[in-house]
Amino acid sequence: MSSDVIVVIVVATALAFDFTNGFHDTANVVATSISTRAMPPRLAVGYASALNFVGAFISLEVAATVANDVIQADLVTPLMVFGGLIGAIAWNLITWYFGLPSSSSHALIGGMIGAAFAAEGANAVLAEGVLGKVMIPALVAPLLAFATAGLAILLIYRIVGRQRPGPVGAGFRAGQVVSGGLLALAHGTNDAQKTMGVITLALVANGSISQEHFHVPDWVVVSAASAIALGTYAGGWRIIKTMGSRIHKMDSAQGFAAQGAGAAVILASSHVGFPLSTTHTISGAVIGSGAAKRLSAVRWGVAGNIVVAWLLTLPAAASIGAVTYGITRIFGTGAVGPVVVSVLILIGAAALFARRAQRGPAVTAAETG
Amino acid sequence: MPPLAEIVDVDNLLEVVWVSLVAGIGATAAYAFAILGAARALDLSRSGRPAEAVLFGAMCAIALTAVGAAVVYGIVIMTNK
Repeated sequence: MSSDVIVVIVVATALAFDFTNGFHDTANVVATSISTRAMPPRLAVGYASALNFVGAFISLEVAATVANDVIQADLVTPLMVFGGLIGAIAWNLITWYFGLPSSSSHALIGGMIGAAFAAEGANAVLAEGVLGKVMIPALVAPLLAFATAGLAILLIYRIVGRQRPGPVGAGFRAGQVVSGGLLALAHGTNDAQKTMGVITLALVANGSISQEHFHVPDWVVVSAASAIALGTYAGGWRIIKTMGSRIHKMDSAQGFAAQGAGAAVILASSHVGFPLSTTHTISGAVIGSGAAKRLSAVRWGVAGNIVVAWLLTLPAAASIGAVTYGITRIFGTGAVGPVVVSVLILIGAAALFARRAQRGPAVTAAETG
Repeated sequence: MPPLAEIVDVDNLLEVVWVSLVAGIGATAAYAFAILGAARALDLSRSGRPAEAVLFGAMCAIALTAVGAAVVYGIVIMTNK
């Protein structure tokens, strides 16, 4: 009975993480469309939200990787999964507050690793899986997106460079409706699956699903898709500003190239089950499309802050995940620990939201243009 | 721990690299050709050269079809695995 209560708390926490993932990553998906005025902000966010939902149903390869290749599945307990999720949520909230587009995926994987390490030591962490299926693809993806977007924009300028800017700009703004949609689809595919993988891991740990007959239940797919879509709709306006205009001012052709390159990399990675960071990938594409035009067009200081947030994400989320696991174990192996930690994190989140609200909205539609 | 080459899923990683480059650059270039075709067709028809305008219009249509086909093909592959 107690373990079922913990699983319910873990599933609710996982869906809350999925919501914050959508909330946090909205900017990555819609910032380029908004900053080039291809779509008005509210429409762009609603459109991305709908396609996030659809994208979650496309593939389950990433969910299988998260459930089987990051930590030792037979050592996992629901409390461990809970600690990992809190590590990820807390880090997502902190980076959201400061307007930094760090990776929700790395926060989740970092949180899981930290909690597993605190519970069972280094044996619980599948170092080969983490390195081969998470870390290396995580390093390759932004560089690949950078190169793809850079080469694409150079080719685009070569093809349409002598045409009148009016029709060309209008054409690429129309194209961004499709490329932005693909990016939202890719985001839903890769990111919602991470939550599906974590929930499935908790269900396996609870004995609700046999490890030999691993599968992601339909209700998990639907609920994860809904949570990320709702989170995306709620939006993250602060990060929209960072992604859309602070890195570099982009034209619609650059926006199109960045979105197309980002979508191609994320969809190809999802197809083979790499749980990469959509934030890193899209940031790489945005920077690549700017750097190919003119190196000085990129605000490298802002790009540098983003890199610092990337470097901090895994260890910071792992530390919070480990501490959370330790706190929950103070209360034993029952449901009291997760309940206490959930209340504390809700109070902390409310305090952050209130403080952010006091300072006023970080960005408006007029500012994003 | 085994050497890095054994840990990294090289085949899948290479697949991601070439698919991303081909799809990301190919589709955006094809769309740029569609815009070029549309812009030239508009200019030529305004300047009274309908035959050439039709040719550029056809280029635009072919390029748009190629982009659409690439998108649909990619999604079909994703959903069929």
